[in-house]
Amino acid sequence: MGFAEADLDGQVGRAFPGGTYTVTPWRAWLLADTVLAPPPSLIGDGGEAPVAHPLFAWMAATGAMGITWDELFSWFGATAADGPVFGEHETTLHRPLRVGASYRVSGGIVSAQRKVGRRTGTFDVVGYSMDLHEVPTDGPAPGVHVATCWNSIVFPRRDA
Amino acid sequence: MTAAVEVGTELPGYEVPSVSAEKMKTMAALLSDPTPIHWDVETLQALGMGDRPINQGPLNMGYVMNAVTDWAGGADRLTRLRVRFLGNVLAGHHLRVRGTVTALRESDGVRLADCDVVLEVVGGDPVVSGTATVVLA
Repeated sequence: MGFAEADLDGQVGRAFPGGTYTVTPWRAWLLADTVLAPPPSLIGDGGEAPVAHPLFAWMAATGAMGITWDELFSWFGATAADGPVFGEHETTLHRPLRVGASYRVSGGIVSAQRKVGRRTGTFDVVGYSMDLHEVPTDGPAPGVHVATCWNSIVFPRRDA
Repeated sequence: MTAAVEVGTELPGYEVPSVSAEKMKTMAALLSDPTPIHWDVETLQALGMGDRPINQGPLNMGYVMNAVTDWAGGADRLTRLRVRFLGNVLAGHHLRVRGTVTALRESDGVRLADCDVVLEVVGGDPVVSGTATVVLA
């Protein structure tokens, strides 16, 4: 039996466990190199920490949401074999991420909508959003809100 | 660079001459992404998807980020990026990012430029399109 539209609605508001992500220098170097940007120097000069590639907002958000992709798919009665695909993405950066800094990630499902396309048939568009707060190095006080990442996943519903 | 920016200004062309299958392997490791279509040709062939690994969507998004931050003056200049994924990028594809300034405004004393952006396969179709906002010098 397919995933019902009522079940879809019931997932809106569900929170991710969340977690913490650290932009370690080795990760910052390798990601920049992989995305064809200049890697940050690994030789510290005692000054301000280098700016991390802005793609780290997405890396941190999805890397520390607290569940695996397979678990997220299962919230919507799907598996990777069903062919879920990225729909849209939005990163809002209130300040740049820094190499060496840690970020607390929190968020969850913010929208879910069933649609029918003439060519694609039935599919569900699920939106999820995560906030990144800097983890202060000098105490437990809440850190500064650094970024928000919003994404949508499209789940094909061939049996709906 | 940004001194003479106006609505309609086109960003300098940013190109990826040939998408690397080796970089996809590193990205898969960084993402802990077990999806083999990004690195295992045998799986691709078994799925009838040819023999060229498919680039990760975040890497495609990263090229767009590079294009706008190179133009704006640094990785710290990006304040917002919204993109829609339209198609696949394969190993060996030649890519180009194009961008156009659509609005100039000020927020909290900071000069911002809104841009339309598109990542396309040279000689092919757009694969990512969207909008970006950067801080101008």
